[in-house]
Amino acid sequence: MTDGGLVWILLAPLIGASVALLGKLFPGASKVARPLAAASLTAPVFILISLAGRVLRGEVIRYSLGGWPQPMGIALTMDGIAWVSAAITAVIALAVVLYSLGRERYSSEFFFFFLMMVTGMFGVAVTGDLFTMFVFFEIIAVTIYVLIAWEGTVTGLAASFKYLILSSTGILFFLLGIFLVYRETGILSISLLGEGPAGTDTAVMRLALASLCVGIGVRTAFIPFHTWLPEAHAYAPHPISAILSGAMIKVSFFAMVRVIMLFKGEYLYPMLTWIGAITALTAVVSALAQTDVKRLLAYHSISQLGYILAVFAAGSSIALTASFFHAANHALFKSLLFLTVGAAVRFSGERNLYRMGRLGREMPVFAVAFFAGALSISGIPPFNGFASKAFIVSGMEGSIAYPLLWITSFLTVASFIKLGRIYLPGAATSEIGNSEIQGLKRTPGALETISVSLLTLACVATGVFGTRTADFLNRLLYGTPLSVVPDLFSVKALLKTLPVAVLGIAAYKLVLTETGQRLSQKVKAMAPPLRVVLVLFLAGLLAFAAAAY
Amino acid sequence: MALYLIGAIFLTGLWGVVNRANMVKKVIGLSIANSAIILLFVYQGSLSGNTAPIEGTGEVMVDPLPQALMLTAIVVGVCVMALALVLVYRLYRKLGTLDIREVERRSWKLHD
Repeated sequence: MTDGGLVWILLAPLIGASVALLGKLFPGASKVARPLAAASLTAPVFILISLAGRVLRGEVIRYSLGGWPQPMGIALTMDGIAWVSAAITAVIALAVVLYSLGRERYSSEFFFFFLMMVTGMFGVAVTGDLFTMFVFFEIIAVTIYVLIAWEGTVTGLAASFKYLILSSTGILFFLLGIFLVYRETGILSISLLGEGPAGTDTAVMRLALASLCVGIGVRTAFIPFHTWLPEAHAYAPHPISAILSGAMIKVSFFAMVRVIMLFKGEYLYPMLTWIGAITALTAVVSALAQTDVKRLLAYHSISQLGYILAVFAAGSSIALTASFFHAANHALFKSLLFLTVGAAVRFSGERNLYRMGRLGREMPVFAVAFFAGALSISGIPPFNGFASKAFIVSGMEGSIAYPLLWITSFLTVASFIKLGRIYLPGAATSEIGNSEIQGLKRTPGALETISVSLLTLACVATGVFGTRTADFLNRLLYGTPLSVVPDLFSVKALLKTLPVAVLGIAAYKLVLTETGQRLSQKVKAMAPPLRVVLVLFLAGLLAFAAAAY
Repeated sequence: MALYLIGAIFLTGLWGVVNRANMVKKVIGLSIANSAIILLFVYQGSLSGNTAPIEGTGEVMVDPLPQALMLTAIVVGVCVMALALVLVYRLYRKLGTLDIREVERRSWKLHD
């Protein structure tokens, strides 16, 4: 494949989006338009596979749109980070689109916005300059606001508005960062900046990096920028929650990694490690207190992102591999969890996990898939969460922030014991459904089942072949074979999960006690109003500026 | 001087976003802050010359790149503002209020 093929990663979903729009214009064509639009997502997969060999050899593939030379032209770049980022987007988008195809209510308009969002995510992954990154971030943003509010419910609209205000404020600071970079160096192309100017350690460049990180940080959702996520992920349509948690926050995280490495921002690492560890712990405590199933999962997304951020910023020799491996695994199991739990919510018409009844017998395939996802996120062998957490342990070695992550791991187990009851076999005794969401008592169709089965298989495969996957990622990111190989399936490693499981069960029992219930009620009620959210954002901004200075 | 002015505009907008309870005013605040950033780019670009950036006139022209970038940023900004106002309108139709505190109080209570 020539370098020009790179552009088809962006063009294919764009064409798919226009096909979907045609389906909207000509109602008769709608039946054909949706599958055709969905099929456009296979093209990026093939392109990524065909480019994998060259990226593995350490080649950086560059392509200038329209042949305009640097630094004015818009460049696309494909390197290790971009490849992983685009691959996660491609896999999750395919799974989600397959799931949405199974339901008529996700019309061709929905597919239009969805494919535009996927275009934006691929764009952020492969972009070669900072301003284009801003444009693609805004493409994601505009479409995601629409998709979060898709159901037209009050909660959806309010969640979308909250996210809009926060992320638009964030992106203003991203623009400010771009301005500072341009003023200081006169170029915005990532490859040209990487040749020297970005590394110059001046106060302005440090401030620029802090601004850029804050802008991306809102999309990545770590503390203190995480406040939009629980509502946005919880009240979006189920497939959108899946891709939001699975791919979107990862794509922003990878963009942040790229920017930090470009500007040689090692001075941010100590703060980011602590932010990551604290994010992981506080979010999992909030998750444990939730009774709304999708909010619970949303808090877990923040918590797992804390892991990813902490191990990246710990800066060991396998930091990137460990954090990207966990990001990829989290993408797989979290979208799986959102899709299966979404199906349960639809079936029972209820979001409270104590009122949903037990659906194990009604939807056996989904129950198996759900438990695969739950065991993955809890880090139980042989699922993929176990593998990447082993890498995180060796990546965090010697860091004093690690105990926080260890506490997080058994609290995660506890909260999934709590959530697990919805898919246990038993009577589906759902009481009166919620006023806004009606239960359809409809078991999932074939396409939905295929989608979650594929994700389940992927969770198992990346777990069983954990070392091999990590080695592949290491070659992509560093160009060398894996230097540290934690022994995944030795007896010692397996025994280490035992205390986590036992403490998890103990923590679950503690939550069930009266004091635990009272505390959970308090934590659950904590939903900061928009003004507090924005003040938190400004505090985070100051913290980043202070750390950079 | 101009930079201070732009800073003041930016802070005004930010103040509106953070401190106003009315959702429409929040959106307007966002728009003001966005304009400040746009002014900042264009102002910086204008420092290098004094004529319009047309190739071949032989005079010292302003830096064209910030202007090109800001055209894009303006378009993006307009999209976001329009969408924000749509959301505000839909919320107003459903709840009959523009006060964000009221909206949040009522919407997060609907579930669970």
